[in-house]
Amino acid sequence: MIFNTWDYYLLFLIPSAILCRVASPRLRPWVIFMSGGLFFTYFSYTQFGGIAGAACLAIFLWETFVSRFYKSSSWICWFGVTQTVLFLALFKYRNFLTGLFWRDAAHNPLYWKNAFLPLGISFFTFEFVHYAVDRYRNKTEEGSVTEYLAFILFFPTMVAGPIKRYQDFLPKLRTISREWVVDWQRGLTRILTGLVKKFAVADVLTAYTNHLNWMDISRAQRMILPLWLFAYGIKIYADFSAYSDIAIGSARLFGIRVPENFDWPYLRTNITDFWRHWHMSLTNWLIDYIYIPLGGSRGRSGKVYANILVTMLVSGIWHGAGVNFIVWGLLHGILLAIRRAWRQIRPMPVTPPLWSQLGSWLLTYVAVNLAWAFFCMDVHTALFFFRRLLHG
Amino acid sequence: MDNAMTTFDWMKHAFDYIGGAQDEPPPGFPVQLGHWWFWAVWWGAMVLAIYVFSGQSSKFIYIDF
Repeated sequence: MIFNTWDYYLLFLIPSAILCRVASPRLRPWVIFMSGGLFFTYFSYTQFGGIAGAACLAIFLWETFVSRFYKSSSWICWFGVTQTVLFLALFKYRNFLTGLFWRDAAHNPLYWKNAFLPLGISFFTFEFVHYAVDRYRNKTEEGSVTEYLAFILFFPTMVAGPIKRYQDFLPKLRTISREWVVDWQRGLTRILTGLVKKFAVADVLTAYTNHLNWMDISRAQRMILPLWLFAYGIKIYADFSAYSDIAIGSARLFGIRVPENFDWPYLRTNITDFWRHWHMSLTNWLIDYIYIPLGGSRGRSGKVYANILVTMLVSGIWHGAGVNFIVWGLLHGILLAIRRAWRQIRPMPVTPPLWSQLGSWLLTYVAVNLAWAFFCMDVHTALFFFRRLLHG
Repeated sequence: MDNAMTTFDWMKHAFDYIGGAQDEPPPGFPVQLGHWWFWAVWWGAMVLAIYVFSGQSSKFIYIDF
């Protein structure tokens, strides 16, 4: 919810964006982090975990305290990364991981009955890790306490990205755009576009995608099954790109530009290109903080394939606490590895013919959509879906 | 082939522009940022679509799933 509530626009976005624009440069970070703190507290309390959820604001304050000790090549940066990952593991994966040992929750002594997720934990984790690692590598300046708080509590991107970088955000915070009219015209257009995508496309398709469950799959005509899955492919794109549109448009009202997340991913003609244009801020994060540290594309080809698989495995695990997300991530890793191997055997022509591009597009589109089965259903149901699809 | 791709890229640019993702229109696009009558109609159409389809909302998929 949040972005499709009146509260978001009337209580938070419009007042904060105007205040931020009229505030002096010294007060601007204060406006952003105070409004972000109120936003987190309000929506956590009302929608994500009640009082306990709202108390998770302490995670941001603690992170800010620890971040003041980050220095180039300092072990404290690794302490920061470790504690951030542990926070995520505790909240998001505790029941999943302990469930691997105690399958019955009733007999699991570590089972967290009233488990909740702090608002935006999957996303602010990325920004915390980025800052710690980049401080370690001396790739970003420290900034002031209020600037760092403004970075992590900037509410348009706090909940679900786009994932920002401190070195990109800081200059924009210090020198905010003065083009009020253009920013508000573009920002409001972007927000409305996002809301149309969410309400008129994503939510409408829910009527079809709700059938992706064991009972309906077992009763459905075989021909209808791929339609439900392809509907899910459109829905997830419309839904998440709508969210990103609203986040980017909201940031624009503040006079701050944040990274783009989608650039026509379903029109891409290979899986590598798909990932370069789907959830781009996540892909770039994975490349910079997982793939390249593992060795990236350097070294023996076996090592490179392993790096690709590990990176996509991390992506899968991050997307959700479930075996199906692991399978989904690995599946994409395998597709990326196949594409890499294919290109080594047959280098891409400078100007591929149109029929070849159309064929590549179709193959990519179908592969991505079939893989969504493991994103939206558990492994058991997804395999049943494919069994019915192939054998009736 | 080149013409097809150019037209295709032009259309993507035009969609991005009217969706608010680009500040500049593609070459030859008849609507500029200053054409308030167009944007008023366009915003009105979007608000109408939102109004017609709202009320069935589900949560956003990516907000911690």
